[in-house]
Amino acid sequence: MPLLELQAVKKIYYQGKIEVPALRGIDITVERGEFSSVFGPSGSGKTTLLNLIGALDKPTGGTVNFDGRTINDMNKNELALLRRYHVGFIFQSYNLIPVLTAFENVEFALKIAHKGDDKSTRDKVMDILALVELQGLEKRRPNELSGGQKQRVAIARALVKEPKLVLADEPTANLDTDTSAGILEIMYKMNKELGTTFIFSTHDPMVMGYARRLIEIRDGRVSKDEQRS
Amino acid sequence: MYLLKIAFRNLFRRKWRTITTAGILAIAIIIFLWMDALLVGIENMSFDNIINLESGHIQIGRTDYFAEPYEDTLDKLFKPTEEHLATLDKSEVITGFTPILDFPAIINNGADEFPIQVRAIDPQSYNEVFINQDFIVAGEFVKSNDGGLVIGNQLAELLEFKVGDYFTILFRDKQGWFNTIDGEIIGIMRSPHPEMNLNTVFIAQDNVYTPLGLESRTISHIALRIEDREIAQHYAAQLSEDIADKELTVRTWQESAKMVMAMREAGQLENIVLLGLILLIGAVGIINVVILSALERMEEIGMMKALGLLERSIVKVFALEAVGIGIIGGLLGCGLGAVVIAFFNKYGISLATFGMSEELHYGIPIVDRLYGAWNPPAFLLIFFFGVVVALLASILPARNAARKDPVKTIYHR
Repeated sequence: MPLLELQAVKKIYYQGKIEVPALRGIDITVERGEFSSVFGPSGSGKTTLLNLIGALDKPTGGTVNFDGRTINDMNKNELALLRRYHVGFIFQSYNLIPVLTAFENVEFALKIAHKGDDKSTRDKVMDILALVELQGLEKRRPNELSGGQKQRVAIARALVKEPKLVLADEPTANLDTDTSAGILEIMYKMNKELGTTFIFSTHDPMVMGYARRLIEIRDGRVSKDEQRS
Repeated sequence: MYLLKIAFRNLFRRKWRTITTAGILAIAIIIFLWMDALLVGIENMSFDNIINLESGHIQIGRTDYFAEPYEDTLDKLFKPTEEHLATLDKSEVITGFTPILDFPAIINNGADEFPIQVRAIDPQSYNEVFINQDFIVAGEFVKSNDGGLVIGNQLAELLEFKVGDYFTILFRDKQGWFNTIDGEIIGIMRSPHPEMNLNTVFIAQDNVYTPLGLESRTISHIALRIEDREIAQHYAAQLSEDIADKELTVRTWQESAKMVMAMREAGQLENIVLLGLILLIGAVGIINVVILSALERMEEIGMMKALGLLERSIVKVFALEAVGIGIIGGLLGCGLGAVVIAFFNKYGISLATFGMSEELHYGIPIVDRLYGAWNPPAFLLIFFFGVVVALLASILPARNAARKDPVKTIYHR
């Protein structure tokens, strides 16, 4: 069974009485362990697609199946629980909780998912922070970290609960080239080592260079879906 | 635990906002505590003055006398029996009792006159129940077989009496004829009870029976002092059963302090109004803080939702922050309130501050300065009230924040 199945997915936003279609019928299947990139011009619907896949939003039409479960029928709490246990998010602006340290930001995600006792939680957080090369910075708060370091905390936070899917919305948009490359290497390594499925939205060619599948969105439709070796 | 940690740290994220809101709450709490100390102080001083100078803890008299003591007073008197006195003597609760004969009269200085209440006392036992003698400012208090009169300083000023001056008291005797008692002023008293200083004069009982046409030992009531004023009502009920005399009523100091008791009820109403104001002040401050915090932390709320936190958990974060502000405000208010009250209790405040004087006391039996009193339950009440108000005020804005669409909050649209 594929991890994700999207059938004729539509999403319409409303500005007053005016309908603004963001997605006009998307059909995609995503297998487990994929490292895929969704790209396209601004306003093409990339972020909307990721929000639907990540159960942050529900489609106006069509169906989104996540690991065999249809999210269309889920209520707010069920969607929250799906995100809690199975989806990790990485955002362009990091969205770390400023009053928590790097360690605590990562630990918080694990605590919410109730995975492991105190000792195993601590070990797990330290391991994942080591994996994203943040040893020694655990006690720093977000305002004491660089953009790249913040994004690595965000990656660690997304991965620590071992989700089935990680969604990264323009993860390198605020980072310089070297830092972006470092971040992508880390995510690529995670995908290889942990088998976690990654889907990015981006218009960064470097990010697309790492992807093994490229899905192009234009005007709310899939205009190209290409597997790469 | 993490929600608590986040809430706690958020309190220090906007320190000045937290301090300002908690400070406003604290000021409201201080005002409440001060007002409460003032009311309790008035109450305590008033009760003490009434008990120590006017009524004692318990009074025994005829039911019709207590119903209307100033009309046909001499027809409502009684002579205590040996059984009555034996009952009082053997009581372990009573620390002293004294027979009193109160009757209305007019005092004359040869030129002017003024209506008064004559208190004819048994000087030996009177001091076991009352402390009027402690407030003699000129001359001396009433002694046995002494024909002299002790008056209050206000009456002395009004009729220009000095110790050694002659007085005339005019009254109707038992048969309804006018009669008088003449003598010297032997003492002037300035007590903390303004009415006693103006309206009441003291004389030995032996000097009034013949002019009044009464048999010896006839009295209007017996005043009792007991160990603790708080047990007065309970003991009065027991004493009533022990005396078992249908004509007599046993009543407590609360009956004499009706004015103050009414003021206590008004004070409780005032406290409710103050609590309402604090509720409003606290609620407005907290709602303001929660709304501002929610607006500032929109992306954070979105991220929490993306992490799978349920709406009720997000509400908890804001509610815990509000409770934190309530606790800070409560501790600050109670702490500073305690300092203010300690100062107030020690140094008091002049009654002139409230436009009151010895002459203009609005029926409150206190003169000069008013002192506050500690009321620990008020501290507990207002502290928890502040915290609960903070909690309740936060719920609605916090729910609104938590219900926001996660997509809109994450991207702050």
